[in-house]
Amino acid sequence: MDVKLPRLAEGVDSGTVVSILVSEGQEIKKDQPFIELETQKAVGSIPSPESGTVSKIHVKEGMEVAVGQLLISISADKNAAIAKPVTGEQTGASTAVERLAQTRTPMSPTSTEVKSATQWEDYRYESKSGAAPPASPSIRKIAGDLGIDLTRVRGSEAGGRIVLSDVRAYIQRLQQRSLQDVKERHDTGSQPAVSQTESIDFARWGPIRRERMSPLRRTVSHRMTESWTTIPKINQFDDADITNLLALRKKHAPAYEKKGSHLTLTSFLLSIVGSVLQKYPRVNASMDESTSELIYKDYFHAGVAVDTEGGLIVPVIRDVDRKNLFELSKELHELTEKTRQRKVSLEELQGGTFTISNQGSIGGSHFTPIIYAPQVAILGVGQGKPKPIVVEEKIAIRTMLPLCLAYDHRVLDGADAVRFLKEVLAGLENFPEAQVKLK
Amino acid sequence: MEPIKTEIVVLGAGPGGYTAAFYAADRGKKVTLVEQHPRLGGICLNTGCIPSKALLHATEILREATDSETRGIEFGEPKIDLDKLRAWKESILERLGQGIKGLAQKRGVQVIHGRGHFEDSHTLRVETTEGQKFISYDKAIIAVGSKPAMPSAFDLGNKRIMTSTEALEIQDIPNDLLVVGGGYIGMELGTVYADLGSNVVVLEAMPSILTGVDPDLVRPVSRAAQKSFKEIRVNTKVLKMATAGKQIKVTMEIDKQQREELYDRVLVSVGRAPNYADLGLENTRVTKDDKGFIKCNPQQQTDDPDIYAIGDVNGGTLLAHRASKEARIAVEAMLGETSAFENIVIPAVVYTRPEVAWCGLTETEAKERNIDVKVAKFLWGASGRALTLDRTDGLTKLIIDPDSERILGVGIAGVKAGELIAEGVLAVEMGSTARDIASSVHPHPTLSETLMEAAESFYGMATHTLTARRESA
Repeated sequence: MDVKLPRLAEGVDSGTVVSILVSEGQEIKKDQPFIELETQKAVGSIPSPESGTVSKIHVKEGMEVAVGQLLISISADKNAAIAKPVTGEQTGASTAVERLAQTRTPMSPTSTEVKSATQWEDYRYESKSGAAPPASPSIRKIAGDLGIDLTRVRGSEAGGRIVLSDVRAYIQRLQQRSLQDVKERHDTGSQPAVSQTESIDFARWGPIRRERMSPLRRTVSHRMTESWTTIPKINQFDDADITNLLALRKKHAPAYEKKGSHLTLTSFLLSIVGSVLQKYPRVNASMDESTSELIYKDYFHAGVAVDTEGGLIVPVIRDVDRKNLFELSKELHELTEKTRQRKVSLEELQGGTFTISNQGSIGGSHFTPIIYAPQVAILGVGQGKPKPIVVEEKIAIRTMLPLCLAYDHRVLDGADAVRFLKEVLAGLENFPEAQVKLK
Repeated sequence: MEPIKTEIVVLGAGPGGYTAAFYAADRGKKVTLVEQHPRLGGICLNTGCIPSKALLHATEILREATDSETRGIEFGEPKIDLDKLRAWKESILERLGQGIKGLAQKRGVQVIHGRGHFEDSHTLRVETTEGQKFISYDKAIIAVGSKPAMPSAFDLGNKRIMTSTEALEIQDIPNDLLVVGGGYIGMELGTVYADLGSNVVVLEAMPSILTGVDPDLVRPVSRAAQKSFKEIRVNTKVLKMATAGKQIKVTMEIDKQQREELYDRVLVSVGRAPNYADLGLENTRVTKDDKGFIKCNPQQQTDDPDIYAIGDVNGGTLLAHRASKEARIAVEAMLGETSAFENIVIPAVVYTRPEVAWCGLTETEAKERNIDVKVAKFLWGASGRALTLDRTDGLTKLIIDPDSERILGVGIAGVKAGELIAEGVLAVEMGSTARDIASSVHPHPTLSETLMEAAESFYGMATHTLTARRESA
């Protein structure tokens, strides 16, 4: 049977093959992972739908694949011979040709459904030698006349050479895509994003280096732009006195450690936010512009921004209102680790209703976080530092935690935001020891 | 006087100019071609490519005759009749020149002989033997070419100090000839005179002759030249020349030591300079680049939007076939097409013994630009055809992109390398892979097989050589 890329999650329609875990001729069991895929949201493995022998691998590492695209073929017969390439090339020295033939198969122009929209859209010919894409002079002339940038056209011949059918397929897809865009724009009423950087030749001022953005980076970039351009945002600042909280943490942290957990400031925040959110349902809401409705959620899932090697990822801790500090600490620790190793599942990245972005472990003071749409608010946390402040008309040195609540003014008004933030402050300043203490 | 009205005026009838004129006429334009020399064809035909190749062919026979003694065929002492040689050479030029003239007539291209001078951006004044003529045009193409550079220090007005133009006339066979400049012109003409019997000394200021060419391609030429020339001196500068009776006293500097030597003739081949002096460019908006060549964009358009420039006046590699290609681009651009001089492979051929030819990316360039390439080489010692020609002094190499196996460049040294490079040009232009060349059957026994064998060696399976198998990365 042919195994195609299944639908992974809402809004995820493509990914990059990180590694291939099986080889041709190898036996494979049902549910055995055979490919690791980096999607816009995480790295995950794809399990085999049945047992058998891998007769052919149709993708290679680094390749971008779309939902519905052929990944591998599994033969039920264990003794099935490995499919021979039909090129007539002898094996042995012709590995490169075979490799090319393999990688080409899934995108041969005969299968022109729009299955691989992102795949071709993002394609860009690159050669370390700086050579132009391989194409005959007549093809280059045609492309020039039509104003087609050949670096965007994927060639189907050996060495990636572009032939007329490739240009034709490219133009057809381009038209299909543009019609789709027009329709979408019409549907949503939004303006197309115009890329300003495209035409600037930065190399004029010095050496440059172009690096392809990872799917994750592109998602982050897309999301941030969307949030920034669509949400009328207010940043509300304050400082919490966490001197007592730190003392509490110091006192109880060893006990948490013993039970395999880490008591961190973020775990306290999760616990506090879990209870304060219940009082301010709008902070936990979302807006549906199309129906002019506010969606109130009777669950409280908090996202936590995690700094990974690949970039920002926000895993979600469910039901923070119903978990005690130990449970939150343990889950936070495990989820953070999983995220850093890029092993977090797609489910674990979805459904957040509020986000905490704590930069304190790195440093920094106040900052204005960007709202993780369609959520309404995000809490930005800086590093707690000892500061001279006035306590009961005297100067005292207290550890002050810089906080910023960024919120969507369409949903939340300033007064409520201040009240919400004040309650969070109060929670930090008067966290009951009973809730910290392990039984 | 009423000016002549034309759509396109082309100034200069070399391979750039006449190609532009003919192509524009073929595309339906009214064209006027202005040329100051009586014979069309430019430097290439009159004092460049064609006469030098005629002489090289003629003198090659002398060399072949000598070499064939070892193969059991002796001719005895050759008799050289310089007048006859010159006349034969001249007959070729005349035939080609007449050919171009005929082609111009049949296309309805109006040819005016005389010096052109821009009065303004749309008027050209031509000084003809019948007086001044004015041409009023829509667009102009400057294709006036270049001339041999003669540093003023060497310009004594002494006829024994020659440029390539005079050297091609072969007034006599000097006993001692000094060639200043070991570039392709110096090496080619040096070969002609050496074969005719002169003691030729080549001086080159740089550390190697044929500067810029891949060293492994230069090596067979150096080796052959060391035998046929008296001497090749690199890292040597000429400081001064002076007339000394019927000879030239040349002061040179080698290893910071000054040396004086006497020569019967000196050939100065130190480069070429653009020919736009007295062209009236100051009356147009045409500008020059920092090297003094006419500045133009990839459509060959100068800063004066209705004036285009092609060929040697633009600098770069001064090659006839580049000018011809630019001619087509300029005409197409005038016709509103998107043509541009971009990603075009321009082959280069040096007609030394043996010939050297290359196209696309060179190994030297790959190193300079830090481009990761694989070089597949085939040495001609293993070529049956090279052995039957008694010319195993050659090598063929392919510069290959290791990932896509695409041919990025080709370099050939060896007899007929200039003919062989055409396949390389096609391969690079078409974006061929090494496998494309390896899989194409090449006739046996020919030198063209060396390209196939080089490609095969990339895969570690050349028939006639043993190469390490390419690790299947």
